[in-house]
Amino acid sequence: MGETQDMSDPRMPMVAWLTTLILLAGPYGAPSGVSAQATPGEGLPVVEHTLDNGMRLLILPQTTAPTVSFVVQYEVGSVNEVLGATGIAHLLEHLLFKGTTTIGTRNYSAEQALFAEMDLIQDTILMLRSRGGGRDTVRIGELNGRIRALEDSARTHVVANEFDLVLSRAGARSLNATTESESTTYFVELPSNRVELWFVMEADRMRNPVFREFYSERDVVAEERRMRVDTQPFALTYQEHLATAYRLHPYGVPVVGYPSDLQSLTRRQVADYYRRYYGPNNAVVSVVGDVDPDQVIDWAEEYFGGIPSGAPPRPVLAREPEQRGERRTEIEFDAEPLLLLGWHVVDGRHEDMPALVMLTSLLTGGRTSRLYQRLVRRERLATSVTSSMGPGSRFAQLFSISAVPRAPHGTEDIEAVVYEELDRLATQPPDDLELQRVRNQVEAGNYRRLTSNLGLALQLAGSASLFGDWRASFRFSRRLQAVNPADVSRVVRTYFTRRNRTVATLVTKAAGR
Amino acid sequence: MRGASREQIRLFGCYRFAATLIAVPLMPQAVWAQAVGLGAVRELQYEKLEFTPTRPDLYELDRGVKVLYLQSRTLPLVSVFARFRGGPSNFPRSLLGAATALPSLLRSAGTTSLSPDSVDHVLEFYGIQTAFGGGGRSAFTSLNTLARHLPEAIAIWTDMLRNPGFDSASVEVWRGQELEDVRRRADRPGRLAISQFNHLMYGDHPVGWEMAPEDLTLESMSPAVLHEVHRQVFCPENLTLGVSGDVSWDHVKPLLDQMLEGWPSCPGKLPDPPLPDFTTEPGVYLIARELDQSTVIVGHPSDVHLEDSHEYFSSRIAHSIFGASGLSSRLVKRVRTEEGYSYSASSVWTTPVASRGIVGAMTRTKPESTVEAIRAILEVIERMRQQGPSDIEVRDAVDRIANGFVFNFQDPSQVVSRQMLYASQGLPLDWLARYLRGIQAVSRKSVWRTFADNVDPSRMVILILGDPDRLGPGLEELGPVTVIETPGRSAPPHG
Repeated sequence: MGETQDMSDPRMPMVAWLTTLILLAGPYGAPSGVSAQATPGEGLPVVEHTLDNGMRLLILPQTTAPTVSFVVQYEVGSVNEVLGATGIAHLLEHLLFKGTTTIGTRNYSAEQALFAEMDLIQDTILMLRSRGGGRDTVRIGELNGRIRALEDSARTHVVANEFDLVLSRAGARSLNATTESESTTYFVELPSNRVELWFVMEADRMRNPVFREFYSERDVVAEERRMRVDTQPFALTYQEHLATAYRLHPYGVPVVGYPSDLQSLTRRQVADYYRRYYGPNNAVVSVVGDVDPDQVIDWAEEYFGGIPSGAPPRPVLAREPEQRGERRTEIEFDAEPLLLLGWHVVDGRHEDMPALVMLTSLLTGGRTSRLYQRLVRRERLATSVTSSMGPGSRFAQLFSISAVPRAPHGTEDIEAVVYEELDRLATQPPDDLELQRVRNQVEAGNYRRLTSNLGLALQLAGSASLFGDWRASFRFSRRLQAVNPADVSRVVRTYFTRRNRTVATLVTKAAGR
Repeated sequence: MRGASREQIRLFGCYRFAATLIAVPLMPQAVWAQAVGLGAVRELQYEKLEFTPTRPDLYELDRGVKVLYLQSRTLPLVSVFARFRGGPSNFPRSLLGAATALPSLLRSAGTTSLSPDSVDHVLEFYGIQTAFGGGGRSAFTSLNTLARHLPEAIAIWTDMLRNPGFDSASVEVWRGQELEDVRRRADRPGRLAISQFNHLMYGDHPVGWEMAPEDLTLESMSPAVLHEVHRQVFCPENLTLGVSGDVSWDHVKPLLDQMLEGWPSCPGKLPDPPLPDFTTEPGVYLIARELDQSTVIVGHPSDVHLEDSHEYFSSRIAHSIFGASGLSSRLVKRVRTEEGYSYSASSVWTTPVASRGIVGAMTRTKPESTVEAIRAILEVIERMRQQGPSDIEVRDAVDRIANGFVFNFQDPSQVVSRQMLYASQGLPLDWLARYLRGIQAVSRKSVWRTFADNVDPSRMVILILGDPDRLGPGLEELGPVTVIETPGRSAPPHG
């Protein structure tokens, strides 16, 4: 269970690089005129089925081993949050592992009665916080203590983590979920004789979730934030970078939420959010492995078919206004310096996206890439350099370049080289051999991405959920093959301007400050 | 396409839609309620899972080099693996830098006939993926390629393994990266805590060594030193190979023969690392860092070894119940689910073949709940020692492994690389089957005894990396407190 924004260490392993670009940068609808041969992924015998309540089902029989991978992806994430309630999508993801009205409980009615009492105290805390400006800390502490005591009482009725226990006892692997800026994904792998178990469990979770242990789980999420962001130099810098680049669009808000918002969330808010975004009409299910598609469809109808369709989720209408000048931000932290550069580019469907993906490869993809060669190998100004686009796909993304300076060199030395290389690409298109290197890697990558059932299930659901067609991410490889050198130069000239640039640097906090 | 045409399914879907419009409003809610939930889970019956575990074939080439081979025609890809006995732990401290650098430099520093750039261009042009790694007592590398490029891939990979160029600029890049990594060690609290804990437990032993600028001098990384270490590790008698994917044995064997042809033999068997002393006294060891979250590691030596024994298999089930089974474990249930102290909590129980291991736990929590979280961990241990696991816990832990056993055979390359690992540990080829039998033979009593005999809260070395001003009262009650001074930020490296 984790929130996923690319907040990892910037030293991304090479193996992961190309797949990540293709999956995350986004795609997708093949434009006419792309005549390259269909990629192997496009020919997969995927069976599509849509339930009457709108839930989309993708089934790919694979008989290599008697195992099955399941993914449910909901089209909801941090872009569907409002300020004051950030982190709600991610907290909800955690709470959906707490069980249902029958799973994880010995006495649901008794639990419910205690929920009401706890939630009333939480409302009181929120009232005190709003009017007191911190003056009522003792009283708030007492009230939090009462909530803890009530939650302990409720726990006497709880079978802890039973949702996990039922599945893991059945031999489940990879049971987990991730929340991203525009999707939330639940996944698990099971032996193929346990397929029906998944339908029973997941349908019950969709229909009858219970947000028990709400307050202790909220504390768990606060600890997750401390672990992934507040104590991690790169993640802190990335959070600040996005917040500076996006002043309006929710891409600027961290998926894990802000600490004060997490403390303010209520069970009621989470339940409302769940009702709004977790209808079957907002879900894509993919099943990949040793299954009979007809049987899978029958089970889907039997277990999910009776769940009422929800209202259509509210669309996200915010669009980031054009940036009208370079923005720079600094983060002081007890760590060595880091650099993040970013430029607003386009959404995943835009026709310039393949050239931008190609650009990431030319700049930082592998040891022959231009920035690796100059910064790491020849001039030794940095120990690593990477580039990526994000944090989502559906809206205009930020093209980011991150680098770790090598002492005694500073971030300013690296910046100068990056701008020089971009200027060079803007005026002198790369030679075709340089592009051919990437095309060849894409070809091999087209097969490598088919090796894992879970990987395939995630790709199918992600592509269908975000772009309306499971083939979209596979087709994108073809569009990538069609990029020519002039396209690369053009996108550099178009987007990589000074006024469209946001620079974030981590500077070492002076001792004693 | 199994499941017939998509058009048929869509039509079927439309037909169902019409019928359901009428049926759903009349359907009593109770009928649906019966179909889902825990009651439905309990009613499910599962057919026995019939499957034949895939087993790689074992071949032997020149000078006894073993090859584990498993064909898979699913995709036009081939993976080749090489595992060598020998790593930094087999060398004295003076060679730590060179022995650690070797796998990376085989990838990045060219060959005697190809410059680093030429190697990169060939690999990237053909879309060949390689991985080079190592540590402890072994080094491993792999390649993955489209089947049609296999001869070229093996040829360049062999050149990289056998004829390293140790190009001076590439060595300098690696050395600079490593020095920078030393400078930045304190930036990653989790990593710093683990390395400090290892140092605390193992002391001046390969597992306890931390890379320092003195290990990375120009002299210690000279071409002569690198070639000498390379000669002792990357040689046929240390090598086990693996092949999986879309290639026949008849096709790949000549390529592997060619790989080994003329490869100089190993100069001798590498010395085993010394046995660790484990002399650190129980107590609290504090590394002061002003952070919003503490990292906590507790542990003490363990005498359970990886072997075909009742105690070993019982320890695996005890480990699972204690803290290795995620949300289902006692540790997570207490520290995370009930108390909300932490996002992550897990047990550690290493079981080396020849030496003592470590048993304990790790978590992260806000400074103010650090002492309580440690107390909770120790209470979980004490309760399990006193009361033992329940029959249900043992059954569930065994079921998790037995029912998920099939996942060991999902991917041919995973099957091959795992068997290579077993071979490197001196385990029999049928180890996985023995493991399952051993796990299924444990009892509540054996799990309880193994845990109680080997895990003791009063012996714990407790390492806390956190803000001393915010840890709150009660730290001293956990044991005598020793403050560990970690090196500060070093000056920028020169030369």
